[in-house]
Amino acid sequence: MAADDAHPLARLPRLWALYARMDLLFIARGMKTAFSWYFADLLLALGSAAWAFLLAARFDGIGVWSKQQVAFLLGLALFVRGVIDFALNANIYSPSRRIGRGQLDHMLLMPQPLWVTIASDGFMPFSCSGTLLAGAAVIAWSVQALALPISAGWLALLALHVLSAGVIMLSFAYLWGSLAFFAPRGAEEINTTTTRLIEQLKPFPLDGVGGGLSLLLLSVVPAGFLAWLPSRVLIGLSDSSWALVATPLAALVAALLAIAVFRLGLRHYGRTGSTRYLAHGHRR
Amino acid sequence: MDIAVSLERVWKVYRQGQRSARIGDLLRNLLRPQVLRVEALRGVSLEVRRGEIVAYAGPNGAGKSTTIKLLASLLAPDSGQVRVLGMDPVRDRVRYVGRIGVVFGQRTELWWDHPVAASFDWKRVVWNIPRERYERMLGLVRELLGLDEFMNALARELSLGQRMRADLAMALLHEPEVLFLDEPTLGLDVLARRNILRFVREVNRERGLTVVVTSHDMDELEQLAGRIVMLHRGNIAFDGDFASLRREVSDRRVLLLETPAGGAAPVLVGAERSGGENGRHEYVYDARQVRLSHLLEQAAAQTQILDVETHRAPIDGLVADLYERWQREPR
Repeated sequence: MAADDAHPLARLPRLWALYARMDLLFIARGMKTAFSWYFADLLLALGSAAWAFLLAARFDGIGVWSKQQVAFLLGLALFVRGVIDFALNANIYSPSRRIGRGQLDHMLLMPQPLWVTIASDGFMPFSCSGTLLAGAAVIAWSVQALALPISAGWLALLALHVLSAGVIMLSFAYLWGSLAFFAPRGAEEINTTTTRLIEQLKPFPLDGVGGGLSLLLLSVVPAGFLAWLPSRVLIGLSDSSWALVATPLAALVAALLAIAVFRLGLRHYGRTGSTRYLAHGHRR
Repeated sequence: MDIAVSLERVWKVYRQGQRSARIGDLLRNLLRPQVLRVEALRGVSLEVRRGEIVAYAGPNGAGKSTTIKLLASLLAPDSGQVRVLGMDPVRDRVRYVGRIGVVFGQRTELWWDHPVAASFDWKRVVWNIPRERYERMLGLVRELLGLDEFMNALARELSLGQRMRADLAMALLHEPEVLFLDEPTLGLDVLARRNILRFVREVNRERGLTVVVTSHDMDELEQLAGRIVMLHRGNIAFDGDFASLRREVSDRRVLLLETPAGGAAPVLVGAERSGGENGRHEYVYDARQVRLSHLLEQAAAQTQILDVETHRAPIDGLVADLYERWQREPR
């Protein structure tokens, strides 16, 4: 028997090291692959944020936000997306695909809790760090342009908000992606739509948005928590203690909700099993 | 008796939505679709001893894959109990899957964009296989399955036979106690199939591995397993050895008679002529109904017998007859 007596958490560093090694071998199999991978990622990342920045440049800011502040918001949005790409790739961030394609079965056949698989299986630090690097570069430039005072406390706040925003994005994906438990074929690509929706809404300052709409963007489609609210805190546009804890609190609620819904779906999956299997390999 | 796998009165029922193809039924399809209740397993009870190879067969839709999924922890029974190695596959999933191996013929556990060796190493880490055991099992599977020729090839570039060998090898790296094979030779050529069968038999003999294997190829199952369990509409219709199955269905034999060329074929009461030319005549008879000596006496009385051959009819044909008989039975 090959059981592991260590706590599942203790497995994670070992698994991350494994997936990082595999990812490095994958990206380093040829110069053409490595170059095109990074170049395409970088281009896509910058392209997805360019429209908001061009607007800000043309009108010298958006609402109360200066051009540099908009750049920070865009950088943060890219960075959060980069963390997801980096740590939760290979369709871990698109659970509807794994469920709809029958590949959840592969995850269930691994001798570890499902959450350990979710936390490790999509770790691709070498091939999927283009967006993260682009986000870090834009944040660094805007921090300098805004002359923000960087301290250990500020960096910790940044880390907390990046983590919280990542948890909200992941929870949003799992809340909607769990529909695939009930309609595997119909909902297989639902995460493509939810990702597109959230990606289009998050790099935008929501200050001028009306009460009803902003409530919507801070609940049902939580785009406001992913870059706008954290940016307000980090660049000093909000100094209320409520704004400080809003994103981490929202992350907690979203995570609890997503876990509950996913478990409900998983129970259903146990009753019906997977009715289809697409030969996309192990988990692509 | 040491029981490795046990199913006790297991029921599994699916609900299958039925949609009419008529445009007039559009609203009904949307709002009140017809639901068909499909009883995949109807109170199935089965025990498999440690070290046994059991063939699990039946026509399409009989419930074979459902059983393998139940045993692999991918499905929960509606009622009844599934126990493997003393564990509940679903409830004890994490501990359980570390002690079994599963191979689905139409799926792969290999990493698509990586060499086979990388998938094996992945398995070592994720399954936390001790180095000594890993090296030992890797040595075994490399030799028996001839993996060296493609260990460094990407999984997506392997032929079907190579992929299946690699998948089978990977399923054994952690030295499981029970192996579930769901149509492991699907689409393979005869040589690849023979290699796989030989390997499974070898591992079973050497290591006492318990194997439950499903396939539609009865000849293959007969080569591999000592016992066959046949499912029919969610029930076990037969459980025994292959010799008993032959007796159950019909002990059909083929008789080949060689007589002087140009002569008429002997007419044998109790046997049906199934072909022949130039003095070679082929007959089929049921050994339970008529004795060979009786047929030979009849033939000798009609012509000169130059040579005689008999052999058992392939089991595939017998089982096809059985499935046909089952199909005719009222539900």
